[in-house]
Amino acid sequence: MALSELERSERRLGYLLLLPAVLLLATIVVYPVFDLVRTSFYQLNLTTGLLHPRFTGLANYARAFADHQLLESALATILLTVISVPSALVTGLALALLADQVKGARWFVRLALLMPWMLPLVFVGLVFHWFFDYRLGIVNDILVRMGLSALQWLSSPALAFIGISLAIIWKTSAFVAMILLAGLQSIPKYLYEAAEIDGAGTLTKFRYITLPMLRPSILVALIFRTITSIQTFDIPYAMTNGGPGNSTETLAMFVRKTSIDFLDFGYGSALATLMFIGSMLATSVYLKHVQRDAPEG
Amino acid sequence: MKISHNVVVWGAAILITVNGFFPALWILFTALKSETELAHIPITWLPQAPTLANFISAFSEQPLLRFTLNSVIVAAGSTVIAVFAGACAAYALVRLRIPGRGLVLSTLLAVSMFPLIALMVPLFQIFRSLHLLNTYMGLILPYSVLSLPVCTLVLISFFQDIPADLENAAMIDGCSRLGALWRVVVPLSTPGILTAALLAFVNSWDEFLLALTINTRLSMRTLPVGITLYQSEYADRWPVVMAALVIAIVPVSLLIALFQDRVVGGLTQGGLKG
Repeated sequence: MALSELERSERRLGYLLLLPAVLLLATIVVYPVFDLVRTSFYQLNLTTGLLHPRFTGLANYARAFADHQLLESALATILLTVISVPSALVTGLALALLADQVKGARWFVRLALLMPWMLPLVFVGLVFHWFFDYRLGIVNDILVRMGLSALQWLSSPALAFIGISLAIIWKTSAFVAMILLAGLQSIPKYLYEAAEIDGAGTLTKFRYITLPMLRPSILVALIFRTITSIQTFDIPYAMTNGGPGNSTETLAMFVRKTSIDFLDFGYGSALATLMFIGSMLATSVYLKHVQRDAPEG
Repeated sequence: MKISHNVVVWGAAILITVNGFFPALWILFTALKSETELAHIPITWLPQAPTLANFISAFSEQPLLRFTLNSVIVAAGSTVIAVFAGACAAYALVRLRIPGRGLVLSTLLAVSMFPLIALMVPLFQIFRSLHLLNTYMGLILPYSVLSLPVCTLVLISFFQDIPADLENAAMIDGCSRLGALWRVVVPLSTPGILTAALLAFVNSWDEFLLALTINTRLSMRTLPVGITLYQSEYADRWPVVMAALVIAIVPVSLLIALFQDRVVGGLTQGGLKG
């Protein structure tokens, strides 16, 4: 079917308007990712010199699959995800339910909900680092006042994990709470009124109305948080810098250390490519949900 | 029944307030304590003799003003680019039926979930050969892309709510498509543009990983990276770190508090990094 003159000019304008976005995506995302994958097949480090990459095929990937440190940082990342994502979800849900109860002072309550969201991740890391300070931190102060003994929070692997997780949960539950609060407020009130007429109690209403109606929002928050959790960097960087030892080093920290601190770009690129593939697989799951929820686009 | 409900509401309000504000309050309290008071054991909660000495140290020990200026330049620059490119793309995607629409949208959504580290490794090398390390552009360009998805998504939902008839009417009155866009759509979507700009600004203001890696010269550091420098150079300088944090947090918090409705609306519409 031939296009009319109007349609053709509309299309031209459309492409023209898309141009800035497409140019940005092409130069800052598509080309670098292409470059990343290409570099991952080369040896490019201080041994080869940074100007003379040597093609080594899949050698970097073979090295990755035998790398203990990669395995350890992957396990640390998974552990942080497994602890912090469900906890942030539950905390966020609790905060949203609480906020839904408070009818007055909405501006103030929402500001309180937004506070953790608006603090940059690295600031949250610094503040929690200070909270968990052995000598002068408030956490140990409270423990001692309660008659317990002070703990070496950030210098024992297990406690460092707990400390980092608490910081992540505090920070990320704010985002979850905002999403779920919006979901809560879109549940039609007549559902609750009808249930009350049928004699339903608070728990029954929560179980049979609130939770099912929130399901889409919970799913979106869950997948979104999981994907961003795989990329965790700032908070552990500010709290422990991966320590004690390498026990709290996440994947992103390991990749950055390999490529930037040790200047091993070939191997670092292979590691980053693996993370990219993992993340994109998870994202495709997310996209399916988003597209199912949105009627168009 | 009435009383117990009130108890629940008050309890809820107090819990949310303490959870939200306590860390910020603790930052402020610590920043106001003198070094001798800080070292006191057991620690004091409220500052006994508040002092501004830490704020003075915060400015003299590191170029805090310079960090702030760098952050403002980088965040503002990337916000302008992201909002402009996002608005153009959103309009094209909403109004002009063009093939490849789904592909652009999916790419944008994928970029919003992109692992930054996978971008950082190649960008570091590319920017090194283009001499973009330690420049504002070296951060403005990647930050624009990071905010592009949320800007486009927020503006798409705003443009969808503007009736096409308004533009058609303007075009019948002799406006070109671009003229109608400029005279009708842009003024009507100021709230949307403001929302997109706020979210983009906060995104860039917060970013740490790229800033840490791409701009390593002290005079080019942004606030989030600059503030970690107090800690690593001086062992127990917590009050100074906290004073610097107060300086870094207050302006953006005020901005967000002021435009709270926009931020919350944009957050729940566009989806954003938590």
